[in-house]
Amino acid sequence: MKKKILVLLGLAAVTFAMFFSGCSSTQNNSDGQNDEALQNADENKKAVLVVSFGTSYNESREKTIGAVEKKIADAFPDYDQKRAFTSQIIIDKINDRDGEKIDNVDEAMQKLVDEGYGTVVVQPTHVMNGEEYDEMKELTAPYENKFKSIKYGTPLLTSSDDYEKVIKAIAAETPQLEDKECAVVFMGHGTEHFANATYSALDYRFKSMGYDNAFVGTVESYPDLDKIKTDLANYNPKKVVLIPLMIVAGDHANNDMAGDEEDSWKTQLKKEGYEVECIIKGLGEYSGIQDMFVEHCNAAISNEEAE
Amino acid sequence: MKKIIYILTALCLTVCFCCCNKGDENVNKDVSSAISFVDDDGININMDKPGERIISLYSAHTENIYYLGAESKLIGAYKTCTYPPDAAFLERFDYNGDPEAIIAANPDLVIIRPFVRKKAPDYVKAIENADITVVSLYPDKFEEFDDYINKLAMITGTTEKARPLLNNFHKELDDIKNTTALISNIQTIFFESTETNIRTITPDSMAGIAIEYAGGNNIAKDTKPIEKGSSIAEFGEEKVLMNADNIDVYVSQRGSMNSGASEQGISERAGFDTIKAIKDGRFYTINEKIISSPTFRYVKGVRELARYLYPDVMDDITPYQNNSTAARSDFANILFRYLHIPIFVPSSSSYYQTEQKGHTFGLFDDVNWQDEDFDSIEACVESGYIEGFKENDKEYFKPSEIVSRDELAQAIFVIGDFSSKDVNTYISDIDKSKHQRIVQILVDNGIFELNNGKFEPERQVTNNEILKALEYVK
Repeated sequence: MKKKILVLLGLAAVTFAMFFSGCSSTQNNSDGQNDEALQNADENKKAVLVVSFGTSYNESREKTIGAVEKKIADAFPDYDQKRAFTSQIIIDKINDRDGEKIDNVDEAMQKLVDEGYGTVVVQPTHVMNGEEYDEMKELTAPYENKFKSIKYGTPLLTSSDDYEKVIKAIAAETPQLEDKECAVVFMGHGTEHFANATYSALDYRFKSMGYDNAFVGTVESYPDLDKIKTDLANYNPKKVVLIPLMIVAGDHANNDMAGDEEDSWKTQLKKEGYEVECIIKGLGEYSGIQDMFVEHCNAAISNEEAE
Repeated sequence: MKKIIYILTALCLTVCFCCCNKGDENVNKDVSSAISFVDDDGININMDKPGERIISLYSAHTENIYYLGAESKLIGAYKTCTYPPDAAFLERFDYNGDPEAIIAANPDLVIIRPFVRKKAPDYVKAIENADITVVSLYPDKFEEFDDYINKLAMITGTTEKARPLLNNFHKELDDIKNTTALISNIQTIFFESTETNIRTITPDSMAGIAIEYAGGNNIAKDTKPIEKGSSIAEFGEEKVLMNADNIDVYVSQRGSMNSGASEQGISERAGFDTIKAIKDGRFYTINEKIISSPTFRYVKGVRELARYLYPDVMDDITPYQNNSTAARSDFANILFRYLHIPIFVPSSSSYYQTEQKGHTFGLFDDVNWQDEDFDSIEACVESGYIEGFKENDKEYFKPSEIVSRDELAQAIFVIGDFSSKDVNTYISDIDKSKHQRIVQILVDNGIFELNNGKFEPERQVTNNEILKALEYVK
């Protein structure tokens, strides 16, 4: 009996020891890696990682994402410029077609660690604090304690002031907004995320800034095209101008907005009897919008330097 | 001695049998089976009778089974089987999934292609182990199409339908060839099969042969396949740009794999704006399902290529130059031909799983997928030029009903680019129009005349009236 108890006690001790050592070794290992990364991180080695959804259209990419990246690079010469896309489909397509390798967020963050960066600013080019932005934050989170400092610039439409600035930036390059016989309809993407309210808030702000002829809708959510049709019927413009409310004017702008198919916004609005003009220009092409991303990045950096 | 005689006799018989068999290598002379041949995986197929509960795991087989009229025997299909439209509503089976699902459906015949066995050997093996006949078919070359259809007909019990269908298939192809053969100004075409390295197709591929039938001069006719048996061939940007002045028509094949460029993709390629076809607005896309897939629908792909190359010859409107009252099907045919509208092919295999905002392709209750006017009607509706009707959750086109001036006005406005004028002509019966804003703009622009101050929105139009209105949007 005594022997049995001894054996059981021994087994329990071994199990406990194994369990404890297993846990602690994992913990030590992870902490060890982080510690090691942190030790290697040079706080004077700085980088801005610009994170975009991405596009496979090369010319559009350079006019939008590329232009934003360049302005950020020019504004912060002490920071090395890095690029990441969140869409793996687009990354793979560009790689297969052009042999150009663009990092996803995970790869870009690991490279920053490997290259010994200590000060990192992540600047997304997302329109709003939606699903894409949340996913980006989830991907960067495991790397946060591997740098001396990591800061995030905010998406385009975050603060109340952002709305006003976005409208001013668009208005500066959209003379049609000044023509009251013309309705300017912006086509956003739309999302199931609660951030979808951003579109209605922007529409509201347009009106409060005197642009009664501006209407904001979405392809995949609300306000939808039916809501836009109702608003247009009430406004009764002579002409409708369609503009994408997306960083890049890609497939949605070319097909869902300006396509020749039955269900495109252009065709649907022509059927209502409006003369329709489509402007295929991504938000990333507006100089004022590019400047806003620089400002958001600057806010993140200033915040970091203040600490 | 007797033994030797037996052996010699047996040898002679064997030799005779082998010789007799040489002319028809793929037919297995197992007299005990009604259907007997070697399939494209090299497996002896012996069936006492055709399949009665069939599952097709390849979209081309599914399409062809519908053409052969054996669709009532189909109890399931692979997820990419979306043509004819009814096929999209068959129960789905996926060779990337659990074979138990297909076995549980209790088919007596599963038709695959060699790709499926290669990609999912365990899945196919599991079906075979459940004593279900699996037949693998795929014609590697265009000249094997008839043989493939004949085998498909044998296993689906439709042999009597195969011959007239094949005769008609070849006749339609020959008709296109004969029509384009009379044209003296031969158009040169580049066919892009992949955006990667701007590859083309081999001359003996389905698409390569389609160019021949369509009467085009393939600028890449001397290419070799990227690997043995492939229909894809290297060409490259440099060669395309070297031939920039000679390419009259640029066609990009679109599909799930190895897609060519979209219109935007082409427009963003450096130097491509120097290509004659791009400058002349003669860039077209074509869905791989109608040009590279071994189906009877291939005729549509060939005709489509011929329309891109020789639009005025292929889209003859003379049958409609008359004062007959236009039916809605005439309206569709006139617009389709006059505007050279490409036929509509859903671009995604999940098309029917996604709710369409307007019309859903192929679902008009009164337009059958085999009707002569099917493509022109679908193309016009999908372009938004003509509207269908929704009644009791069903869609109708009403092809034999008349076309009103109101409907014609809406189509002309959507097709063209008209601005509102400050004329504001008084139209006494404008309140009867469903498209008042459009009618006002078109009358103000002088596109439609009034009759004693009336637009007469409900008055029916003739074929010539449609053609006359179209002159304003040319």
